[in-house]
Amino acid sequence: MPKMLMLTLALRNVFRNSRRTLLTVGLIACGLAALMFTDAMVRGMSQSMVRIATGTLLGQAQIHRAGFRRNNDVDLYITHSDHLLQLLHDDPAVAVAAPRVITGAMLASSENVAAAMVYGVDGAAEAQLGKLQQAMVAGDYLHAGNGSAEGQRQLLVGTGLARLLEVELGDRVVITVSQIQGGDLSQELFRVSGMFHFNDRMLDQNLAFITLPRGQRLLGMDTGVHEIALRLPAPPAFDWQRYNGDWRGQVLQTLSWEKLIPQLSGVLEMSNVSTLIVAGILFMLVALGLINSMFMSIYERQYEFGVLLALGTRPVQLFWQILYEGFFIGVLSALSGLVLGGLLTWWKAATGIDYGNLEMSGVTLQEPIFPMLHWAQFTWMPLSIVLMTLVASLYPAWHAARLQPTRAMRKTL
Amino acid sequence: MTTAPSQTEPQAQGDILFDIRGVGRYFGSGDIQVKALDDINLTIARGEFTAIVGPSGSGKSTLLQLMGGLDAPSVGDVHLNNKSIAHMSGRELSDFRRDHIGFIFQAYNLIPVLSAQENIEYIMLLQGVPAAQRRQRVQAMLNTVGLEGYADRRPAQLSGGQQQRVAVARAMVSRPSIILADEPTANLDSVTGSALLDMMKGLNESRSMTFVFSTHDPKIMERASRLIHLQDGRVVEDERRG
Ligand SMILES: Nc1ncnc2c1ncn2[C@@H]1O[C@H](COP(=O)(O)OP(=O)(O)O)[C@@H](O)[C@H]1O
Ligand SMILES: [Mg+2]
Repeated sequence: MPKMLMLTLALRNVFRNSRRTLLTVGLIACGLAALMFTDAMVRGMSQSMVRIATGTLLGQAQIHRAGFRRNNDVDLYITHSDHLLQLLHDDPAVAVAAPRVITGAMLASSENVAAAMVYGVDGAAEAQLGKLQQAMVAGDYLHAGNGSAEGQRQLLVGTGLARLLEVELGDRVVITVSQIQGGDLSQELFRVSGMFHFNDRMLDQNLAFITLPRGQRLLGMDTGVHEIALRLPAPPAFDWQRYNGDWRGQVLQTLSWEKLIPQLSGVLEMSNVSTLIVAGILFMLVALGLINSMFMSIYERQYEFGVLLALGTRPVQLFWQILYEGFFIGVLSALSGLVLGGLLTWWKAATGIDYGNLEMSGVTLQEPIFPMLHWAQFTWMPLSIVLMTLVASLYPAWHAARLQPTRAMRKTL
Repeated sequence: MTTAPSQTEPQAQGDILFDIRGVGRYFGSGDIQVKALDDINLTIARGEFTAIVGPSGSGKSTLLQLMGGLDAPSVGDVHLNNKSIAHMSGRELSDFRRDHIGFIFQAYNLIPVLSAQENIEYIMLLQGVPAAQRRQRVQAMLNTVGLEGYADRRPAQLSGGQQQRVAVARAMVSRPSIILADEPTANLDSVTGSALLDMMKGLNESRSMTFVFSTHDPKIMERASRLIHLQDGRVVEDERRG
């Protein structure tokens, strides 16, 4: 019965100075809403960055000969690649496998010369893997017209590279590469058949695409590829060991996107930490605000506590009364914070936040960020706010329980 | 005026309610030590209607606090029903106050967030008195103090005199051994104050409830059957009246 009595007292006292209570509840609710929104932003941004990073050109995983990635040594190509591609094609855990030859090259137009990475690719596979086809802004996408002379000379350049070379659609470009096994120079003539714009300065200035067979021929190899980019519908189902290690007299290496762009996965890990830091700081501020307001309330009621003690209330019962007050404030705050944070996140999740091509850790945010609603925002976040208010109430509660009745009653009289 | 307070003869041994022996209460230490109470020896018999009188600062409140277990003496001992309360632990003291002492203070007696009825109920709720019994006793008590229609009023909606009557009802309702009232009329006008005291006197006579109250108002003192005069923390006169 005394428990109920203390609960009643706590509840009525919470609403006694309703302006102060509302301000405190507002403070804590805003803290919770900010936390929920921060979490949603970080989740949304992470997802966007990963989607942009993996969905443009990279894929979710890549297979190379071990050592190729160290300095793109053209000699380290995967032999028997047709057979490997067949295996990948039959693997249900792989949605798309896009074979590529890759080499540094000199591109010369009639006006200018530029260095770039030239990719020999399978146009159909690339269209399914990444954004190359969608990024086309002029001319035609790669097509498999190997027989015709026009098909042989297809060349896609980025808008930035086109500006450097001062070329337009149909202009001639001579590509010079150093071939495998000995590095004889090889030169061939192409015509600009299309231009792409990934909206990423690095990619748009440094990349050129030709067809895979033409790339192989340019490098002096019959078959073989340097890289197979993979799209994995459900990454957990993929067997990372299957295309790793010794395979037909060569050592293969399968790397996930996290390994391929470690700077991005580093940033993502850090943003998880930063959510925690934001949470920590918010909790501190909110706890201090709460303690401050509870102490104001306790000081005002000092005499009253003296009376309660004189009537035979046990100090521990006063302790519980204050703790209940903190609990009620916490629950009120959590509920209003949930509504506030939920609505804000839900609204922004629908409309998105446009950062206008902000570049972050090598990834250009080409699309608005859509904050992501997540169950964690509606479970442990409000719960930890309630828990935090309880912890913050311990100090004022302890203070109230230690009041000396005579001293408490002398204060005002 | 007699000094040297001679211990008054109790009518019978069983009638002694309070026994205060050699009690002192000192604040501070060394040169700045204040002896709020010094060498007090008193007994209070069951059914008395006693006033503690003296000027401001003479130690009236301190004495009532020691009797009610709100404070502990620096020296000496206080017995209620032959049980020492000077050295009880915090929780024992809380329960002792709840079950044996009814307090009435000068002002702000009532808990503002509770109605008159809930204020009166408070101690019984702490004691775990069943609801039906609580309601019946609260109702009877409200009638006794003449506040039948005021059960649901909050203290802020009651006059000063009404608030003090609720405080009396609250002190009475749990049937304590004694009611200690520290200047209960000090914040009331003289008519209201006299009426409150008449009511207390009536309860003392009809229910033989023991009262000890402090005052420095001569009109109020008149109604007491015993006057204990304090000055500078000492009993200077202990006067019984017919
Ligand atoms: N907590 C305390 N600290 C210091 N001095 C106190 C304290 N309580 C009471 N006193 C002193 O003790 C004396 C008696 O006080 P009190 O019992 O309140 O007198 P009264 O109620 O008769 O006015 C006063 O001098 C007062 O200043
Ligand atoms: Mg006093």
